[in-house]
Amino acid sequence: MDFDFSDDQQQLGDAVQKWVAKGYDFERRRSIVRAGGFSHESYTELAELGLCGLYIPEAQGGMGMGPVEGMVAMQALGYGLVLEPLAQTLLAGAVLNAWAPEALKTAWLERIASGQALVVLAHQERAARYRLDLCGALATESKNEGGWQISGSKSVVPAGDQADAFLVPAMAHGRLALFLVERTAPGVSTRGYGTQDGSRAAELQISGAAATLVTTDGLAALEHAVDIGLAAACAEAVGVMDRTLAITVDYMNQRKQFGVAISSFQALRHRVADIKMQLELARSMSYYASLKLNAPAPERRAAMARAKYQLGQSMRFVGQQAVQLHGGIGVTDEYIVSHCFKKLTQLEMTFGDSLHQLGEVSARMQDTAGVFA
Amino acid sequence: MDLAFTPEEQQFREDIRAWVLANLPADISHKVHHALRLSKDDLQRWARILGQKGWLGHGWSKAFGGPGWNAVQKHLFEEECALAGAPRVVPFGPVMVAPVIMAFGNAEQQQRFLPGIASGEVWWSQGYSEPGSGSDLASVKCKAERQGDHYIVNGQKTWTTLGQYGDWIFCLVRTSTEGKPQTGISFLLIDMKSPGVTVRPIVLLDGEAEVNEVWFDNVQVPANNLIGEENKGWTYAKYLLGHERTNIADVNRTKRELERLKRVAKAEGMYEEPRFRDEIAKLEVDVVALEMLVLRVLSAEKTGKNSLDIAGLLKIRGSEIQQRYAELMMLAGGPFSLPFIAEAMDAGWQGDQVHGGLGGMGGFPGGALHCAPLASTYFNMRKTTIYGGSNEVQRNIVAQTVLG
Repeated sequence: MDFDFSDDQQQLGDAVQKWVAKGYDFERRRSIVRAGGFSHESYTELAELGLCGLYIPEAQGGMGMGPVEGMVAMQALGYGLVLEPLAQTLLAGAVLNAWAPEALKTAWLERIASGQALVVLAHQERAARYRLDLCGALATESKNEGGWQISGSKSVVPAGDQADAFLVPAMAHGRLALFLVERTAPGVSTRGYGTQDGSRAAELQISGAAATLVTTDGLAALEHAVDIGLAAACAEAVGVMDRTLAITVDYMNQRKQFGVAISSFQALRHRVADIKMQLELARSMSYYASLKLNAPAPERRAAMARAKYQLGQSMRFVGQQAVQLHGGIGVTDEYIVSHCFKKLTQLEMTFGDSLHQLGEVSARMQDTAGVFA
Repeated sequence: MDLAFTPEEQQFREDIRAWVLANLPADISHKVHHALRLSKDDLQRWARILGQKGWLGHGWSKAFGGPGWNAVQKHLFEEECALAGAPRVVPFGPVMVAPVIMAFGNAEQQQRFLPGIASGEVWWSQGYSEPGSGSDLASVKCKAERQGDHYIVNGQKTWTTLGQYGDWIFCLVRTSTEGKPQTGISFLLIDMKSPGVTVRPIVLLDGEAEVNEVWFDNVQVPANNLIGEENKGWTYAKYLLGHERTNIADVNRTKRELERLKRVAKAEGMYEEPRFRDEIAKLEVDVVALEMLVLRVLSAEKTGKNSLDIAGLLKIRGSEIQQRYAELMMLAGGPFSLPFIAEAMDAGWQGDQVHGGLGGMGGFPGGALHCAPLASTYFNMRKTTIYGGSNEVQRNIVAQTVLG
């Protein structure tokens, strides 16, 4: 039992923090948001830092690292409110590496690691909301061996119109399977739009497009993907909350009302103590999520639900209260804290919101209790 | 970074578990698992059993006859005791005053006081709070005047937990009124059998006399009962408060009580009721998050690598969660939490004999005997956000670390 970061992990975190501080300031971010919410240039810089291949083996051009490194990187990106969806890249690399046949790995892993190809998970459907076992997309096996065709539509796909390929769950012979579909394949169309946090997503329409089978064990692979995404979202959220608290503390120590800094008022000081509480509970559960990411699936799933429930509660509290403590400036677009708040709100609703996660925790509850139960 | 305990730590846990299983009297663990009333004898029996093994002062270093465990080992020991249904060790002797005597007492005081604490023979009480000094502890007025080889103590302490059983009491007394309030306080050990000491139990909202008022009327205390230097008591008191910080979160007992909550909810048909079940699920997440927070503090203490400013959060969160499980257990009992039958909280209660005892109409209303202590525990737990520095004071401290 040990919660110290290794020197290598520390260095990775420092490198990403440095990039965020120098290369991803609020003005650059704002210009990316104006340009649609995704910058290929920034994404390439993430790849140059090695982040795109974090979970991809060294033999395939990646770094072959684990969940703690992923957490360190995501936390630093969260601090910078970075728009480009590294969480998607992490889960795509890990899922293809764990579930895909060799040919598919050979075709994609190196390109993902180098940042040449962006692959994202396209699993959300209107009727399924956050559920993973419901799927309307259909896959049919072609007459020629090994070929598949998919029809269906997926919603709010991160950076969907910028991606090169999608991981697409679809029903094949009555069972959920996972496929890879290229965006440029005939029959694939996307409609991109901005999301509330300033980043980018798309609607995805697939009409009889060619697909490559990743695995017939689709639900397990999808759960794996989402759990990597959940751990990443938790870590990212901690970074956003660290930033949010830092901004709020600075503001409270500068802003004067009634002739004194507002940080001298006890009602506001107690609110800050409560924010600190929520932040540290969140950080603890982010550690928990990342350290459980390689556990057997049932244990991993239960842990992610617990973690994301805590993170969801923390994010909502920290975001709302940071805005409140700023007063009027907190609800402007000009000032950064509203962007922190929107990012936290969107993260709460990514890969399952708090009510959804509470349902998962409730359904999986055992007689015993605690971290080791 | 690793969530798993090391093989050595796991072996340590197994060894503790086996020892507790073999040595914890079944009648005591039965009471603990059912929240029944514990007598002085129950508490002392367990203290003596631990004392014989050398584990009553389980946080003590080897130099003072303790096991010399690190922070993680202490945590594992406490967890195994709690989960097995051991009563909480009354902390005033082994956890609170002993470390102060070790750090600031002289060799004579260490030889005089530590053996009785280690064995569980001598019951210690805490004399901190006064009627006018709650959260503002530095305002204590209970006065000690030096007269030759003695101090003459006059004043009053209150909220003295289990002080009715006390043999000795460690007190913060005022020895000077000059300078800041903190600078005139001394740390004095007082024999409660001394002439002039009066103890009066205070009945609390659950009907139990858990705390006491203690009066000192011209009590003669030998000057060699002063710990350290005169007027330096505040420093020692702060040392004491900083000691065993993770202990105050009491996450181990909370895990046991969450398991009990699930049993009670099942017995009352509430476990499958979705709205109630979700409340338990929320608490479960709270408990896991608290445990992770505790483990982070322990890990930092063990390696000494990174300093954490989060220890102050533990008291706030731990106490809130204790209140919540007690509240949910009472709510699970529903209407059967309402009958107040004080005797039903004693082990082996045979029911109201006039009405046929347990077999007749004389049992607990609705036959729900396990509901007897639920409301009392709920009421009792309101203390947790008040004692040990109220949660509002704790928030002041946390805010100070964040905002400056």
